[in-house]
Amino acid sequence: MIRNRMVLLASLVLLIGAVGCGKKPQTAEAPVIKSVEPTPTDVAPPPAPTVTEDPKAWMNEELAKVTEMANQKGLLGDVYFDFDRFELSADARERLAKNARFMLDEPQFVLTVEGHCDERGTNDYNLALGEKRASAARDYLVSLGVPANRLRTISYGEERPFCSGSSESCWSQNRRAHFMISSRTDG
Amino acid sequence: MTPLRSALILLLTAGLVAPSLAAQDPAPPQDPVTDESDITAVIEKGGVAQLRLAFPALVVRPGTSSGAATAIRGFERALRQDLESSGVFAIQGPEELSVLDLTGDRGQDFELYRSLTNETVLLVEGYESDERFVIEGRLYDLASQQSILGKRYRGTFDLSRRVAHTFSDEILLYFTGTRGIALTSIAFTSDRSGHKEIYLMDYDGESVRPLTDHDSISMAPAWAPTGDNIAYVSFFAGPPAIYRVDLATGAKQPIVNDGNLNSSPDFSADGTRIAFTRSLEGNTEIFVANRDGSNLTRLTRSAGIDTNPAFSPNGTKIAFTSSRAGNPHIYIMDTDGTNLQRVTFEGTYNDGAEWSPDGTKIVYATRRGRDFDIAVTDLALLDTQVLTSAVPGSHESPTWSPDGRFLAFSTTLGGKTQIRVMPATGGPARTLTGDGNNMAPDWSAYPPR
Repeated sequence: MIRNRMVLLASLVLLIGAVGCGKKPQTAEAPVIKSVEPTPTDVAPPPAPTVTEDPKAWMNEELAKVTEMANQKGLLGDVYFDFDRFELSADARERLAKNARFMLDEPQFVLTVEGHCDERGTNDYNLALGEKRASAARDYLVSLGVPANRLRTISYGEERPFCSGSSESCWSQNRRAHFMISSRTDG
Repeated sequence: MTPLRSALILLLTAGLVAPSLAAQDPAPPQDPVTDESDITAVIEKGGVAQLRLAFPALVVRPGTSSGAATAIRGFERALRQDLESSGVFAIQGPEELSVLDLTGDRGQDFELYRSLTNETVLLVEGYESDERFVIEGRLYDLASQQSILGKRYRGTFDLSRRVAHTFSDEILLYFTGTRGIALTSIAFTSDRSGHKEIYLMDYDGESVRPLTDHDSISMAPAWAPTGDNIAYVSFFAGPPAIYRVDLATGAKQPIVNDGNLNSSPDFSADGTRIAFTRSLEGNTEIFVANRDGSNLTRLTRSAGIDTNPAFSPNGTKIAFTSSRAGNPHIYIMDTDGTNLQRVTFEGTYNDGAEWSPDGTKIVYATRRGRDFDIAVTDLALLDTQVLTSAVPGSHESPTWSPDGRFLAFSTTLGGKTQIRVMPATGGPARTLTGDGNNMAPDWSAYPPR
């Protein structure tokens, strides 16, 4: 668990370093963890011009930093699910209560809840299952008072695994809802 | 497809046998299908009894340029592969026939082929004419020594595989009453570029070409039955949405791209409608729409997961996966959402149903232990056969060949996923892919003639 968080942190640092990366940080995260061969821009980011061309890149970077700092404080952490299930466990509810507290304390942020699955089962079914997981987490946050208009969901199914490997130790990490600050209510 | 098709104007399917030979051959039948005769009976029952075919080395006539000869050899290689992989024939030649001391006299030579238990012989000649290669192929019944099929093809040197596939399909049509599948193709998803993109390949795994370059996640290709475009799911603009790619132009356009999740497209057999999965407030339901995404209609209402719809070949039913009873199982409903019927009861997880071309069966992935297997359920008897229990790996995403004789599916083994083909009744599988991971095959309909 701790090691995973370190991997996540390291990847976020990498991500922040890649200023030139024009893609949205929340979707760029998983490939870094999977160590898919980095694109040339990841290795040698072009200097400032890219930033001025795309002002949103700065914001995305800042938002990624917000998520990272929340993670460091044990907030906005992932919640995990059983195989082929989308019900929230007691642990998941506890984690979500912390995540809800963060969102209530920081009303300027919009949170995207990503739904993920392990590799077993078909890609199509897992897309639907990830949607269920993301919305189960979203609904619980709403029940704790987080306004629904500050929450987004997206399912990645089994397409962006956190851990690549075919064992339960990996699979259990991939059956998750993942949380990313994705925009600002004022921006 | 269409560029290939336009190139095909160079390929002229001539009538039957050349006049000089016709004199020797007692009138070959004009329409092969009308003369199926007793040979068809031999190969029925799932191809258990194979037709014994002698196929001696193709003869290249003198005066053929090396370019034409290369095309002709390519034709022969492809034709042997097509006939072999059809499973319909037990083929001898050229090696097995080298023991024969052929005389040059047709009658005597046919007796020699027959002495090795062959029932038919395929004699093929190739030559060059006007910078085209020309193939003349003739099938003879060895018992009667009658010519049963004759074809002449002409094409540019780059069309050798296509000519072979065309001839093979005709031979299959003659012997089985069903056109062969050598001109069909398979759409699939591959991560070979580092991102999941949609690709197309010939039915035998050759001629792989990319259809998308979104650098995102693109998946779930589904052929339009018209064969001119393919629907797929992509994340490139944000949430998963359904797009189509025009195969002639490569142009892409959205079909359904509003909302939080649209996935699992499947066209009706007449191509006018599309069934798909759509999320409402985080719950996925089955919808249908016109092929352009208009006239959206919701068909399911359950708190569970509903996904992976598939139109029946006659367009009256939709099979889909639902977890409404706890675990994912296959259900069938009318295309207006009524007459719901559950059709799978075994296994802990059944998903990805595809109808057989004759509409009597569905094939799907079933989880019986740790891994997934391919299963076929007869819809009249609700009788289920698991086809891959003895095949190592986890098997998913089955799709029927348009003649109903084969299944393509994906196998995950040792951390890699590849697309394979096996007979629809089970049996040895051939692997079609090898570059990266390859999955979600969707077999095309027959191309128009």
